[in-house]
Amino acid sequence: MFEALFKYTPADYARSELVYTGDWPAWLIVGLALGAFFLVGLFLFQRRRSASWVQLLSVGLLQLSMLATLIWVLLQPTLTTERLREGENAIALVVDNSASMSYGVEESRFATALRNLATVTDADGAPRFSVRHYELGPSVRAVPSFTESLPDGDGTDLYGGLLSVLEEARFSPLAAIVLASDGADTRGRLDAGQVAEIANFGVPIHAIGVGRDTIPEDLELQEVTVPDKALPGSTVSARVAIRHDAPLETRIKVYDGEDLLQIVPVALVAESGVTTAWVEVELSDAGPHQLRFSLDAIDGETELRNNSRSTLVNVASERYRILYFEGEPRWEYKFMRRAVADDEDLVIATLLRVSPNKFYRQGIDNPEELEGGFPTTADELFRYDALIIGSVEAASLTPAQQQLIRDFVSERGGSLLMIAGPNGLGNGGWGQSALADVLPVLLPPTTTDSFHRLKVPARLTPQGQASQVLRFAADNTANRDAWLELPEVADYQVLGNVKPAAITLLNADTQDGLLPLMVLQPYGRGHAYVLATGGTWRWQMSMPLEDLKHEIFWRQLLRAMVASAPETVSLAAAGGQEGGSIALRAEFRDDAFAPMDDIGVRLVASHESGEALTIAMLPDTAEAGVFAGELLPPGSGTWYFEAVAERNGEPVAVARTSLLHESGAAEHFKIRRDTGTLERLAAATGGRYFEPGTLDGVHDLLRYSSSGITETEYRPIWNAPAVFLLLLFLKAGEWLLRRRWSTI
Amino acid sequence: MVLIAVAIACGPADGQEGSGERSDPRLKRESPGEFQFVRLAYSSNSYSRQWRGRQPWQTDWPDAEHHFVRGIDRLTRVATAEKGRILTPLDEEIYDYPWLYAVEVGNWYLNDDEAARLRDYLLRGGFLMVDDFHGSWEWSAFMSSMEKVFPDRPVVDIPADDAAFHVIYDLDHRIQIPSRMFIYSGVTYEKGGVTPHWRGIYDDDGRLMVSINFNMDIGDAWEHADWPDYPENMTALAYRFGINYLIYAMTH
Repeated sequence: MFEALFKYTPADYARSELVYTGDWPAWLIVGLALGAFFLVGLFLFQRRRSASWVQLLSVGLLQLSMLATLIWVLLQPTLTTERLREGENAIALVVDNSASMSYGVEESRFATALRNLATVTDADGAPRFSVRHYELGPSVRAVPSFTESLPDGDGTDLYGGLLSVLEEARFSPLAAIVLASDGADTRGRLDAGQVAEIANFGVPIHAIGVGRDTIPEDLELQEVTVPDKALPGSTVSARVAIRHDAPLETRIKVYDGEDLLQIVPVALVAESGVTTAWVEVELSDAGPHQLRFSLDAIDGETELRNNSRSTLVNVASERYRILYFEGEPRWEYKFMRRAVADDEDLVIATLLRVSPNKFYRQGIDNPEELEGGFPTTADELFRYDALIIGSVEAASLTPAQQQLIRDFVSERGGSLLMIAGPNGLGNGGWGQSALADVLPVLLPPTTTDSFHRLKVPARLTPQGQASQVLRFAADNTANRDAWLELPEVADYQVLGNVKPAAITLLNADTQDGLLPLMVLQPYGRGHAYVLATGGTWRWQMSMPLEDLKHEIFWRQLLRAMVASAPETVSLAAAGGQEGGSIALRAEFRDDAFAPMDDIGVRLVASHESGEALTIAMLPDTAEAGVFAGELLPPGSGTWYFEAVAERNGEPVAVARTSLLHESGAAEHFKIRRDTGTLERLAAATGGRYFEPGTLDGVHDLLRYSSSGITETEYRPIWNAPAVFLLLLFLKAGEWLLRRRWSTI
Repeated sequence: MVLIAVAIACGPADGQEGSGERSDPRLKRESPGEFQFVRLAYSSNSYSRQWRGRQPWQTDWPDAEHHFVRGIDRLTRVATAEKGRILTPLDEEIYDYPWLYAVEVGNWYLNDDEAARLRDYLLRGGFLMVDDFHGSWEWSAFMSSMEKVFPDRPVVDIPADDAAFHVIYDLDHRIQIPSRMFIYSGVTYEKGGVTPHWRGIYDDDGRLMVSINFNMDIGDAWEHADWPDYPENMTALAYRFGINYLIYAMTH
């Protein structure tokens, strides 16, 4: 209808500019306008006695409108539009040929994509452009034409692939890209920066989204997060994220190699989304452990490859050293040492002030260790992985030693635990010391006696309930009950306000209400804990001999403290879980944990088959002592990495790690269509998102693309039927009014 | 047990420390210190006799602990309660005090329940110092109950290099610490117990649980620390033994 009246479509009007092509001189147009105005005025003046002013005004407006329309027609109004010059531009058809495109119910996503791309160029009315064909997987490649082969790309890199297509077209006219994909990017979702970078080329990308947003008959083990390092015999918490599109029940099975370690039932409550579950896994032996997490299949599930993930955990066999500085003999000291005495991975070296002028040392390696009292140098202190300070006044350490402790946490990355005591925490003046910033609480001043020898129960906070450190049972209810049944601690110390970044794990249920009992916060590279009691020893003395909760508490706390402390040299490998490249990051520090910035790093990657590759490791300009590299592994399997730091050609330090890499596995995860990514990409580049089979208008979109070689199209509208109908309407209206009034 | 109860109940009448600390568990009262001297009120065997109406376990009470805790307070950093306490083996509160002192243990008698409780207490990490018993007859009486506590653990001489003899004071030169009667008789031993023995019972990890001070009277040396006639060097040594045992108990 619109097109019949106005000659062109609304879209034509929307993308066009209005110009006047009539070559009449301006004085003539102005003269005609004035003349028309004069004639109408004269006409009305002559009839001023026989008609009312309303009648005169109505007839006058109709006459003026008609004359104005005639003058507008004389100006020859015309639409001008920039349109692509047919035959001189190209469009790029990009089809995602990664393995996830083989999914589909009645036809594969790949077949749907090809069918829809064909309508872009082959259908009637398709503009005549040269067409380039690209297949996009982990990389992009130009092909003469699409073939209905089995899509088998072992990854999808939308960002890299589109950039390659755009870069190729930098010196040739590319009008648009039409991308048919499920949007699942194995390199991670496109971020805003990457989208902006693609949009900067000015080439519109029209996206056709294939596949389904939700797949109720499929479970996907989206992510498994475990610490990359653990101590022998320790229990590690694995965070398991499960993607589902229906409320279901399943089980998580955990295997260490071929051994089944754990079966955990999980209820997936939400209709659609990601459910997170925690699984505790005990790792007894030192060495690399290949853990496989697997979900039970649900009814009708056909894709089982995304129900399983493997990860490698390195169980360290080294012994961790903890320095415990205590200002007075006390039962907590005794029972803490006893609690971890059988733990072969932990050594507690103690410095106990037994009398005003005498220190007693235990757990030392040699007679010289701690001989001079509390360490005064970084070399001496930083050899420990964790530090415990008990009932000691801050003034017993020099400001330099306090600063050293601060550096121990922030620079060395060690863990600090401060324990309550009559001379500790607020009473000891630590709130006014150099460590005040490090601690997770604002301590009260020394003028307040904050230490109370009153028995109080310890209560788990929600964060404490989730913490592996405070876990006595895998089941949440059983764990909560275990804490409720624990005897009271012997004493508690009032802390100040908890800092914003801190986490309260335990509260003391006192006569004055709940007070923080155990608080933790990260600080710099390390962590700071405060335990506002020196009376957990009552758990040991008040519970049956067979009950090991006191031992478990201290072992888990101290193990968590040392496990988070970095080594002087470290090598991290990441990204192997989902295929793609493996990012390598090596960090080298000296014994005082100062970055080694005068070294070169050589890295050798060895596959389990024996194949070895040398990787270039380049220094990180933002962080001294850090070197980064990347490996695109040619196949699946375990890779062993060894980074050697060299100074003047001589090796000075070595770091090792290993990683399990699964090539192509990523394509069988993320199998749901990522519509959001495709819509964002289209919107940012000036393109449009299409559902398959609804590509109406795509030809016009391509024809009038702002990119490529264009020409100006002139389309007159003065001769549109609507103009003549308007003239007829105005004249007929005047005639009808004058006939009805018969006075004018 | 009746006698123990009577003795404990009579305690507050003389205004001394310890016996007034029988607490009502419903009351929230601050503990007076990290360490509180606890005297074990045991049942007497059939051969024991009272002296001036007092049970054997009351020997030297309260002056012994009264003097000793001040020594601990002066010579160490232990936060010490000024007053001591008295507890029976079956008292539930015993687990709140990981250090016990028992005197005149040649007169003690532990029934099966008390022996089991003491065994449990010691294996959980408690420490027992026994003192002031002499001669073979009292040794036998002591062991008849101790063997109920630990039927399968040997009593051994504490080695000279054990931390118990060095943790704060080096006690390489150990001599018999006599009772007050030494002042009058000039004899340092009693009941034929000529040779002093520092013996002990260890746990599976080699930690001393029971220190057995046989043929000596450390408690008397504490009690008579303010007697001009009692040898100062004996009192000093008795303090050192007591403090070493305490610090050992708080560190091992």
